[in-house]
Amino acid sequence: MNKPTPVVEVRDIHKHFGGIEVLKGINLKVERGQTVSVLGSSGSGKSTMLRCINWLEVPDGGEIYIGGDRMGVKSANEKPMSNRELAAMRARTAMVFQSFNLWPHLTVLQNVTEAPIHVMKVDRKDAHDHAVQLLEKVGLSHKHDAYPWSLSGGQRQRVAIARALAMNPEVILFDEPTSALDPELVGEVLAVMRSLAEDGFTMIIVTHEMEFARAVSNEVVFIDKGMVIERAAPEKFFTNSDSERVRQFLGRYRTASA
Amino acid sequence: MEDSDWFTLLHAAWTTVWISGISIILGVALGLVVAMLRAAKIPVVSQFLAVYVSLIRATPMVTLVLFLFVIAPSMGWEVDPRVVAIAAMTLNTTAFNAEIWRGALTSFSREQLEAAKAAGMTTGLTLRRIMLPQMMTTSLPGLVNEMSLLVKSSPAIAMIGIVDLTRVTNRIAAVTYDPLPPILAAGLLYILIIGGLVRFQRIADSRAKRLAM
Amino acid sequence: MNGFKMIWDNIGLFGEGLQNTLVLFCVSGVLAFILACFLTFLLEGAENIPRKLIRWGLDLMRMLPFLIFLYLLYYGLPNVGLRLDVWSAGFFALITYHGAYFAEILRAARTSLPAGQAEAAYAHGFINSSMYWRILLPQMVMRSGPLFGNQLVCLLKDTAFLSIITLMDLTAAASAVQAKYFVPLPPFIFVIALYWSVTLVVETLLRRLSRRAQKRGLVHE
Repeated sequence: MNKPTPVVEVRDIHKHFGGIEVLKGINLKVERGQTVSVLGSSGSGKSTMLRCINWLEVPDGGEIYIGGDRMGVKSANEKPMSNRELAAMRARTAMVFQSFNLWPHLTVLQNVTEAPIHVMKVDRKDAHDHAVQLLEKVGLSHKHDAYPWSLSGGQRQRVAIARALAMNPEVILFDEPTSALDPELVGEVLAVMRSLAEDGFTMIIVTHEMEFARAVSNEVVFIDKGMVIERAAPEKFFTNSDSERVRQFLGRYRTASA
Repeated sequence: MEDSDWFTLLHAAWTTVWISGISIILGVALGLVVAMLRAAKIPVVSQFLAVYVSLIRATPMVTLVLFLFVIAPSMGWEVDPRVVAIAAMTLNTTAFNAEIWRGALTSFSREQLEAAKAAGMTTGLTLRRIMLPQMMTTSLPGLVNEMSLLVKSSPAIAMIGIVDLTRVTNRIAAVTYDPLPPILAAGLLYILIIGGLVRFQRIADSRAKRLAM
Repeated sequence: MNGFKMIWDNIGLFGEGLQNTLVLFCVSGVLAFILACFLTFLLEGAENIPRKLIRWGLDLMRMLPFLIFLYLLYYGLPNVGLRLDVWSAGFFALITYHGAYFAEILRAARTSLPAGQAEAAYAHGFINSSMYWRILLPQMVMRSGPLFGNQLVCLLKDTAFLSIITLMDLTAAASAVQAKYFVPLPPFIFVIALYWSVTLVVETLLRRLSRRAQKRGLVHE
């Protein structure tokens, strides 16, 4: 029987900053079409793990595979990839950042077409049409020629999502996408992310939004002090977790939101 | 002061403007090159450029102009004073511009660079499409400030015989025995030239502020 | 002729040049700074005609090249009956010209101070001079540290312009020695190295001062 290759595979990743070990052997497999939420306290290492996947952080040990291909290191001789090879691998993924990280000198439309035109060498007209489609999908059709400074946080993040989608990535990595937003604006971004999950995109979402994780994910992963403590379907995780630590984490959350 | 004196003054003002102008254009471009070379951290080159920048920024324009003028013949270089003047001013303003560009390079938003990396952009592409367009806007106020500083130190070229807007006052006074009017007139013209640059700087400032979001 | 010998034989001339440059630099630097403190003090308070004029004057000064201003004082003033010697013209030019620049630095620092006590005082129409000197000014100075350093280096470099009106400064010394032997490299390299050294000393001193100020909590990074 031929098991399909996971879109993202993280094998025994280790990472330390200075003297502190932040990742102590993380394992993760994400199949096509899955939405995986990654939860944990601040400092647990969940963002670091996510950033290792597209090699924005370089792990000190372990391996990462994107669509079956080794990331960051040449599979032939174990030497680090050149900048060009790294760029090519990164182009297969996309990331949505906590602080949006839009390019301020470009319009909304240009932000979305920039990478397709210059990295993937897509024809300008095709990139333009695709961008128009994506901006409609995230609800910003009327903002094509606006500049990022004139948009609200929620709008900026939606542009960032459209920008990520424009690359036709194999996986979309979300790094606390709503943590920097005013509470009223969180909803519009989560709505877009929900529709992406329903469309079958492969997504890994590091988030603090418990309700969202519960409603939208196929799987929830809990990372604490650099290790995966539990990995389960949302219902099991939120109501009947095996782990004491998870129950403690959820308990604090429930008390806070009571 | 006669009308013909005004004509002489304006001609000298033009001399100041075009010699400064060429030095400014060359200096802005070369300053960027120096800043990028330093950022690339090439072994011997980076140290050499660091010394060059520090040394030239500490050298008075008068001293530099005189120095290049007197060593030109023994080095076999062009001895035309205008070429020496442009060379000295360019050498000087390049060092200052290099610091301005360097500041823009090192303070560039890491977040935008991460977004570019994550989107699969190479360093070259990121530099060309993301960094430089913005750096040109954000560096502009500093660069224009340096342009007005350059014009204010341009009278140094009078030392090597160029009839610029400062030396021309001697010329006129030598005939009229009345130095005050031409000096005041020259001062006025300088104020107009530099005032224009100051206005330019204010516009550049407001454009740069928008990019900061 | 050997470069070192050339410099050594004329060390007296270089010494005189260095001394004159340093005297001009230090005295003018201090007096320009004091002048700027007074000018900024005069500008404290409600906007009125005299203050507007002072502000205009300062702005105008910063749009003039130093040498033209020096020419005005040295060559132009005799017309109206005021004949200055080289040293007086030099000092006056350096002090007033760079005083204007220092005043601009202080003005920018003044606007960056948090509103509060001073504003309340002005709203009542009076300015407490001791409040300015003991509270506002020290903060303004501490906030502008590096800018003062830059401006002092500009002052040092402007002293070289005085060689044009025949004051025997460091640049004039290089020129004189060069004219004696027609070997330009050694004297100029020596003089440039001296300018560089003075600059490095000034920058180091200022860095130490600013570190002391930070320790005392006067500046927060």
